Amino acid sequence: MTETPKPKVWGRWVVLAAFVLGIALFTGLKINVAMPEVVLPPEALTTPIQTPLGPFFISGTLVALLFADIIIFLLAFGINSAIKKGNLILTGIVGAVEALLEMLHGMTEGTAGKWTKAIFPWFATITLLVMVANWTELIPGVETIGMIEEKAGSSYVVQMVGGIKSLAKVAEGAGNVTLIPYVRVVSTDLNFTVALALVAVFMVQVFGVRSQGRAYFTKFWNTGGVFSKPIFGVIDFGVGLLEIVSEFSKVLSFAFRLFGNIFAGSVLLFVIGSLVPVFAQSIFYLLEFFVGAIQAFVFGLLAMTFMAQATQGHGGEHHEEAHA
Amino acid sequence: MDVEAAKILGKLIGAGLAMIGAIGAGAGIGIVASGAVQAMGRNPDATGTVQTNMILGIAFAEAVAIYCLVVALLILFVF
Repeated sequence: MTETPKPKVWGRWVVLAAFVLGIALFTGLKINVAMPEVVLPPEALTTPIQTPLGPFFISGTLVALLFADIIIFLLAFGINSAIKKGNLILTGIVGAVEALLEMLHGMTEGTAGKWTKAIFPWFATITLLVMVANWTELIPGVETIGMIEEKAGSSYVVQMVGGIKSLAKVAEGAGNVTLIPYVRVVSTDLNFTVALALVAVFMVQVFGVRSQGRAYFTKFWNTGGVFSKPIFGVIDFGVGLLEIVSEFSKVLSFAFRLFGNIFAGSVLLFVIGSLVPVFAQSIFYLLEFFVGAIQAFVFGLLAMTFMAQATQGHGGEHHEEAHA
Repeated sequence: MDVEAAKILGKLIGAGLAMIGAIGAGAGIGIVASGAVQAMGRNPDATGTVQTNMILGIAFAEAVAIYCLVVALLILFVF
């Protein structure tokens, strides 16, 4: 008795029902859809504890990071069990992750050569973490569900929608409450992006030292030719100083690229969602899906390329042979 | 015009001016992508390498626009 699998068609009815329900809610109930307040620093969910290093508190972005970590752990367990089953062909989400990692590995091999084994884990970890973290932006309710707190001079007041408290926008300074989201995308927190950038750039230096030893630092402090070749030696020394500056600017550009893209994306979703609360946002969700993936990929790719460059110094050829 | 209104006006104009820098990044990304597509058309076998380098180039060009964006965001929401 063979059964032909019926194509699942109920999914589109769910989408259609959600669509109709959304229009009905929006037009029928005359809900005042407020744009969430755009705040640059992450908001505190708990009362800050004073420590010698500064106030410590749980923020919505920290919750999102834990959330992303849990997703990655679950993925790892899922992949592990799928591999242990012994199927040669991985399907579903496991297959997708395999394809992604295969692509990243191929790319690392092309750039880093024999350092692939050392550099690939950093590339893959950064890309996976940032990708999952960026995609938490796409979950409805992130950055819009949270605690309502008193705040004088804000531009929101509480309105009741079907027994649920929500915020309505009023004139600037006329409101009395504000919203502190439970979950806020972690990439919109500069603490996260700067920390990740610092780790990446620090590991670039570590790979440089591991491959070239002390000779790596002649890249920064190149006094070798100052007296033997007066003009070009001095130029080389100046270039070395510029290299130091460029290491710091790497941290800045890493951190601000990710932060800027994802923060701008979430503001875009806010604006579109408050202008046209039904349907229009889905197009921008697709856009943000791509932006999140590409930014994660670019972050990892740049880190990998810098690491690979650090392993290949100018005088590296004979040096590497001596090690091999 | 009172001081508060003038401050908001200045913020908005300043943020708009800061984003002018995105022009350069846009042109740069266009040039990078056009070069990469031509290279891939001439030599389809090199697509992988070209693509990697294209994304790198785009990322560097885009960084400038991101600096502008961050400056604009800082002007709007922090100061």
